[in-house]
Amino acid sequence: MTRAPRRETREVTLILATIVTLIVVGIINHDFMTLQNIRFMILNSVVLSLLALGQTWVIATKGIDLSVAPIMGLTAVVTGLLEQGSGLPLVGAIGITIGIGIVLGTVNGLLVAKLNIPPIIVTLGTYSLYSGLMFIYSNGTDVVSVPPAYATFGNGTLAHWLPIPIPVLILAAILFLCWFVLGHTIFGRAVLAIGNNAVAAYNAGVSVVATQIRVYMISGLLAAIAGFVFLCYTGSATVTTGTGDHVELQSIAVALIGGTAIVGGRGNMVGTVLGGLFLSVVLTALVFLHVPPIWYSAGEGAMILVTVTLGMRQNAARKAIR
Amino acid sequence: MSNSVTARRSRSRFPLGGWESSLLVLFVLQVLASSFSIPGFFDSFSSWLGLTENFLPFGIVALGLSVVILTGGIDLSVGSTAGLGAIVMAELWLHLGMPIWIAVMIGVALGALVGLINGLIITRFNTEPLIATLATSFIYRSVGTALAGESPPSGFPDSFNALGQGAIGGLIPYQLILFSILAVLFALLMSRSAYGRKIVMVGYNGDAARYSGLRVGRIVTSAYVISGAMAALAGIVLAAYYSAVRPDMGDILLLTTITTVVLGGISIFGGEGSIGGVVIAVLLLGFLRQGMLIAGFSDMVTTMVTGAILLAAITIRNLLSGRGTGMALLVRRFRNLGRDKLTEATK
Amino acid sequence: MKNMKWAGFLTAALLGLSVTAHAADIDTSKRIRVAMVPKLVGISVFKANQKGAIAAAAKLNIDFLYTGPVTASAQGQVDVFNSLIARRFNVITTTSNNPTELAPALRRAMKQGIKVVSYDSDVAPDARDFFIQNTAYPAFGKALVDSVAKYIKPDAKIAILSSTPDATIQNEWIKALKAYMATAYPKMTIVTTQYGQSSVSQSLTAGLNILQAHPEVTGIIGPDAAALVGAAAAVQKLGLTGKVIVGGCSDPDAIRQYVKAGVIKETPLWDEVKEGELVMYVARLAYNNAIPRNGSFTAGDLGTFKVNDGVIIFSDPLIFNAQNIDNYHF
Repeated sequence: MTRAPRRETREVTLILATIVTLIVVGIINHDFMTLQNIRFMILNSVVLSLLALGQTWVIATKGIDLSVAPIMGLTAVVTGLLEQGSGLPLVGAIGITIGIGIVLGTVNGLLVAKLNIPPIIVTLGTYSLYSGLMFIYSNGTDVVSVPPAYATFGNGTLAHWLPIPIPVLILAAILFLCWFVLGHTIFGRAVLAIGNNAVAAYNAGVSVVATQIRVYMISGLLAAIAGFVFLCYTGSATVTTGTGDHVELQSIAVALIGGTAIVGGRGNMVGTVLGGLFLSVVLTALVFLHVPPIWYSAGEGAMILVTVTLGMRQNAARKAIR
Repeated sequence: MSNSVTARRSRSRFPLGGWESSLLVLFVLQVLASSFSIPGFFDSFSSWLGLTENFLPFGIVALGLSVVILTGGIDLSVGSTAGLGAIVMAELWLHLGMPIWIAVMIGVALGALVGLINGLIITRFNTEPLIATLATSFIYRSVGTALAGESPPSGFPDSFNALGQGAIGGLIPYQLILFSILAVLFALLMSRSAYGRKIVMVGYNGDAARYSGLRVGRIVTSAYVISGAMAALAGIVLAAYYSAVRPDMGDILLLTTITTVVLGGISIFGGEGSIGGVVIAVLLLGFLRQGMLIAGFSDMVTTMVTGAILLAAITIRNLLSGRGTGMALLVRRFRNLGRDKLTEATK
Repeated sequence: MKNMKWAGFLTAALLGLSVTAHAADIDTSKRIRVAMVPKLVGISVFKANQKGAIAAAAKLNIDFLYTGPVTASAQGQVDVFNSLIARRFNVITTTSNNPTELAPALRRAMKQGIKVVSYDSDVAPDARDFFIQNTAYPAFGKALVDSVAKYIKPDAKIAILSSTPDATIQNEWIKALKAYMATAYPKMTIVTTQYGQSSVSQSLTAGLNILQAHPEVTGIIGPDAAALVGAAAAVQKLGLTGKVIVGGCSDPDAIRQYVKAGVIKETPLWDEVKEGELVMYVARLAYNNAIPRNGSFTAGDLGTFKVNDGVIIFSDPLIFNAQNIDNYHF
């Protein structure tokens, strides 16, 4: 497809930007380029990247999913409290995570596809509903610790010869799946076709309703997995998990930094994960450069603006040539 | 209640006499029901009017945001802009000793300026409104926090506080007067002026507007200027209501305001809807929330009900509009969108 | 309602025999309605206040309501206050999201004859009748410094991880701890102050960044529950347990594992449950007009408290450490 070169451009841009940031900040502050710091910059990006991968699916169909924040929080609170209350085993928690994600995501999908309500409105509505469920379920009890099995799942490694933290492996596996399905399956092509032009896709025989439902299901599922990884990584969860940090907006930003177009029809899974990593590196760099904390949020905003406008420029240039 | 631009379309599309009238009926029923069933909701006419002080800042933001959404865009920076406008106003008054009403004007002008920045980023760099205003909201937030310092200003003169808490003759809140004037202005602007028609046209079909010679970039930019100014004004009204400012004071405005605008019948894809509908939605949601809280429902239940109402209302609207469900609806919706990707061929 | 009574009964049973009505000297003849409005509902540390309040309300003939916003916003609290005014509550008790924005709504309440009692985070003095300060700021600042300084070198470099740049109570504590540090540990320096936005994940990231950007840091003070947890988790993740000491304040449940692991040696707080009881006593007495602006009063078996210009200091800091933390559950 004609898209291939542009996608690679975005990925190369992000990798270069990340490397340049690493080197420049590493020269200014020698503690920046330690193996441990790099490890944590990657680890810190996992939760957001998982959410952003789900968001990428939705945005590729010209939709948006604001409810990822409460789905993430609800999963963390429910699995965490069940463990805290009755010693839920890890396998059970993973099962519940998958269940919550699929159910809540499907609800979004049904509302969007069957009732044809604009996605931003559906997920704005379910945002309030799902966060309400979180309050009702937790009833003011916080998750304050997780057992060793969970902690290993969120921080440890699978084996001594593989010194990569489990969350990073999970992210890598999910990234591979998303990349493969979007780029190399009929379903993936249906998603992009809907994003490009739903009516044309319908006329071409794509099952628009079924595809949309699945896309929101995937987003819900990935948000739930992000919630469980968050629980295991931080060992805590409260009713403000997810919604308090506005991860819904952050995840949209990361997907767009990664080169996914909000007008639909284009999704870049690798770019999304690279975008999440770049964001994590930039935010950490601000600390190592001794920028006053008040300006971190401005730094994030500026970085989003620069990356996305540059991307738009590339698109505009391409459009002009065509 | 519907304006001239949309009246024709609404009539043809909504057999029940328009979304706005349905909202109005719902609003009247809700107020009547609350007055009879919730003790404390309608103690006196003045106390009932006084309830509006608690939600009209949302309405002021909604008016400005409506214009942006009519163009098919969105402004996620309204929360930070509200905080920033209020803080600048307060700092000018406190540290430069500027007369407070002049500081207010500068605060609103600053809101227009940050709106202009949003608009220019969106039109000049061809950036999606969602991501551009998300990014600038982070930046405005930092600036606001930096200006506010460790202990943000508070304790404004009573003459200023009256803007948020006072009422003419102890009966009609100043906020309500301000909002009414703005609502009428916006309704006239959108329905009776060439400018309003241009806004709707840009949102209805950007390409067609461009081909017919409209300066789409300027028109879109102006919408963000209006939205920024209204957000800053809302922040300043909140400052008077609290008699204090904080950088995060606008955070609660965003999601509720989008809900209001959409419930008011403005299509999130632009080009469709009226200010009248938004004004009724402001009152409907505002009185509903106040009524539920007074009836003893918790904030959590109230928030959940608001979310459910939004979903139910849009569903009902889709059903009543006779557009059916499923693919037929989708086809029609996309045709109505008039977005650049849809050509005549898809019809 | 039924649930609440049941919870109250359960709490009373849990607290044991100490809950025998000693309210003989307090006039409880008229049943009154008292609301407790935390910064936001659904957070365990505020629930601890609620637990104590429910127990005391049962003894003091109080119709008790715990209600608050779902996000930590002033607007949410103001909406709740307005509804309580309309519902004619007798007393509103609250810990504020910030001191200034809530004032007009509370003044409106006072104008209508409603008594206002603030606790933990105060509001403007003219917008409440009484303020229950958990502990005196200087004493708490000292306890915060000691929670770290006792275990590291006197010339150590430390970092502060707070909630937000304009959090009133945190800023008061930081001011107090700096003052104490300057006299008691003059060679100790604060190399950076970062903010975790009261979010555990952001605090964790901030904690990791502090430790790696400032490897010379051997102590972190987190005067905020999320910040303390985040800092402790960061130390543990970097394998710096014992090398970097974390102190600050948080409810014991949230930090139990870190205290037992030795990441946190000791942390000051106060007994949130008992504080909740005191809030109800003050609410009852304020309604009865039986409490002076200056002077003292007795709150059942909680003892006698001094009032200074409407400010009541609840207690000295209560220090949790590995030995005593299991006696506290909130």
